[in-house]
Amino acid sequence: MIIVKDLHKTFEDNRVLRGVNYHIHQGEKIVVVGPSGSGKSTFLRCLNLLEVPTGGEIWFDGQLITDPKTDIDKVRQHMGMVFQNFNLFNNLTIMDNITLAPVKLKLMNKEQACETALSLLERVGLKEKADAYPSQLSGGQKQRIAIVRSLAMNPKVMLFDEPTSALDPEMVGEVLEVMKGLAESGMTMVVVTHEMGFAREVGTKVLFMDEGIIMEENTPAEFFANPKCDRLQEFLSKVL
Amino acid sequence: MQAWFEKISKMFHMAFVEGDRWKLYLDGLGVTLQIAFFAAILGLAIGTVVALMKLSVKRNGKKTVWAHIANIYIDIIRGTPSVLQLLIMWFIIMKNCTNGTLVAVLSFGINSGAYVAEIVRAGILAVDKGQTEAGRSLGLSKAQTMMYIVIPQAIKNVLPPIGNEFIVLLKETAIVGYVSLTDLTRAANQITSRTYEAFMPLIGAAVIYFSIIKVLTVLLEKLERRLRKSDNR
Repeated sequence: MIIVKDLHKTFEDNRVLRGVNYHIHQGEKIVVVGPSGSGKSTFLRCLNLLEVPTGGEIWFDGQLITDPKTDIDKVRQHMGMVFQNFNLFNNLTIMDNITLAPVKLKLMNKEQACETALSLLERVGLKEKADAYPSQLSGGQKQRIAIVRSLAMNPKVMLFDEPTSALDPEMVGEVLEVMKGLAESGMTMVVVTHEMGFAREVGTKVLFMDEGIIMEENTPAEFFANPKCDRLQEFLSKVL
Repeated sequence: MQAWFEKISKMFHMAFVEGDRWKLYLDGLGVTLQIAFFAAILGLAIGTVVALMKLSVKRNGKKTVWAHIANIYIDIIRGTPSVLQLLIMWFIIMKNCTNGTLVAVLSFGINSGAYVAEIVRAGILAVDKGQTEAGRSLGLSKAQTMMYIVIPQAIKNVLPPIGNEFIVLLKETAIVGYVSLTDLTRAANQITSRTYEAFMPLIGAAVIYFSIIKVLTVLLEKLERRLRKSDNR
């Protein structure tokens, strides 16, 4: 579904990605872990071109999206993204946050979008917040809404950029629950996270990134039980 | 005490009542407000467009030619006195135009636009980058993200400095006397030279300016409070 070939990204003279190759299949839940500065967030942000790669290719559903001629807005309609800082639109109510994109992009009319939004809100237990503004919600609630906002676009893949890193500890659980539910529903997911429990439980593959490349890749069971490279062993000994 | 009071009332009579002089202030005020109002609208329009021009970047992150044009405009306008700009507009660029008010509106509008552009640009930059990224990640175009997400939030940021700019603009129109328009300031000045008495006309004009700006300030504060509702703070 997503094929990444020899992906490079350089900021000024800082080489963040140094040749990432990977193939993400439909329905997979890829969890990306690694120390900070390893390039894992940049890798994720390259997948929907929020960062424009300096080299390499990304194919999505058979389309070369790194080609400058690609209509990236069209591609992004099929790739949901959830951010560390939620990034709900502060000027809009929760309902408008969710319905803005589907309505403005003419994928649904206003009523359809509201209906979709309400049923999605119900799924995450926040139906009564439809008319609230983001500033009235807790971090966990905001992140659940952010997930709903992406889902309202009916994406083929969901990208998560450290979705629980900005949350108070007691709110991490509620967001992970929603993500688990999403995983069970068969969504293709790429998740950058520090939640090793989530990686073990939900991931179909776990990637270890460091120094701008994927250093190790394995099933969760093998990944945590038999880490092969030294860097990963060292990393796991610190985080587990 | 009685003599002092009589003197004051005579001065007042001479400055405002005699020969229906109050009408001159009123006409002057009309000119002042007309120029300020239309120049403010023009300035806001130019400023918004120029701010967006200045913020435009190419796909590779470099400035566009529009951004350079915007920079040149802002540099020139901010680098020269507004009186001089008005004189240049009146005597050179639009020397065949007999409508002084129009010339003044254009001159002040173009002048104000440069300052408004920087205010709007700052307001847009103050909106968290994550808002734009979230909009773009949903598939909204650059323009849609600007229009529905960034600009509504930027308006809240720019309201106080924009109010400031409008107040400066309103008072700045006092220089239109240079191109023989009779605004409030010039009207007061003319009356002074007719009655040989400066106190009442000048203080009177000052009070009128002050009152109008006070009203403007109160209105802006109200608007700001209303727009801040979604902030919950």
